[in-house]
Amino acid sequence: MSPGTSAVHELLARFRYRPEEEFDALVDLPTSSVEPDRPVGAEEIQLLTFSLREGEYAVALDTVTEILRARPLTEIPRARPPLLGVLNLRGTITPVYDPSLRLQLAGSAPLCAGPDCERPPRPARILVVRTALGPAGLWVDRVRGVQRVRPGALERPSSGPTGGVVGILQTAEATCTVVDPEWLLR
Amino acid sequence: MSADAEAVDVCAFWVGEAVYGIDVARVDEILPRVVPLPLSDAPAHVEGVVHVHGTAVPIVDLRRLLPAGSPPRTAKPKVILARIGRRRVGLRVDGMAGVRRYTAAEIRPEGSVPGVLGVTGDECRLLDLQGLLAKRSAARRPGL
Repeated sequence: MSPGTSAVHELLARFRYRPEEEFDALVDLPTSSVEPDRPVGAEEIQLLTFSLREGEYAVALDTVTEILRARPLTEIPRARPPLLGVLNLRGTITPVYDPSLRLQLAGSAPLCAGPDCERPPRPARILVVRTALGPAGLWVDRVRGVQRVRPGALERPSSGPTGGVVGILQTAEATCTVVDPEWLLR
Repeated sequence: MSADAEAVDVCAFWVGEAVYGIDVARVDEILPRVVPLPLSDAPAHVEGVVHVHGTAVPIVDLRRLLPAGSPPRTAKPKVILARIGRRRVGLRVDGMAGVRRYTAAEIRPEGSVPGVLGVTGDECRLLDLQGLLAKRSAARRPGL
């Protein structure tokens, strides 16, 4: 092997990408204060918590496909509560429901569709959930965040008709009712 | 292909009047339009950072590190997302020049130009990315 070829081999060794090669960061970025994503343990479930009227509620995060800023809906003539109206979700007509009726937090649904409805309040959101019949929306007052909990941390409701209530989650800030989204739509 | 230790696949691009190349295995993605977020204390050749799939990646303007000149008119500026070790960096270039395969016989070592390891028969300059970027980051202004 001539000296020329060994120089080329050295050159190629440096030129080629090696995942273990050393390189200092070009710029120092402040380390994020946000907790890095941990993989979800097999024993953990993730809950999306939201506010309705005065209370805190939650649904399993994996049933929620999307969170939309609340917007005026298209009205359906003679639609019965809890159906508020429909929205066009990138071409899919998606019914939107008011969970507060099902949870007996309110007697009548607010007017969210049609020409006379008012602008939705800023924090209001529509949770798009997967159901057996396709996507459906849940109109909530505010989305709180995601909680990771062990199933054992959920308390079963002790009295009354449990219906779609999966459990009660007691956190430092609030008592959160975990509900089955499909039950809210029925 | 990769078992052939004598040959190398090179991602070639224009910077100024010359064609440069990096190992194609370094290249993750080529982005057409990138507007980085400027950083106040970065070296002059670092334009800023962009968020790519959740990680902040610094964008380096290779045109400030390599000799100036005008690229061919057909060249379209791009940002090459490349890997150096376990880090990623975006390289702003004047245009892409394709993927080329060179055998060891076609490459002659080059020692006089900083950041360039060798030159191929068709005048593609093989870049030493670690050397080119590490040297400059050490030259950062003191106190910043």
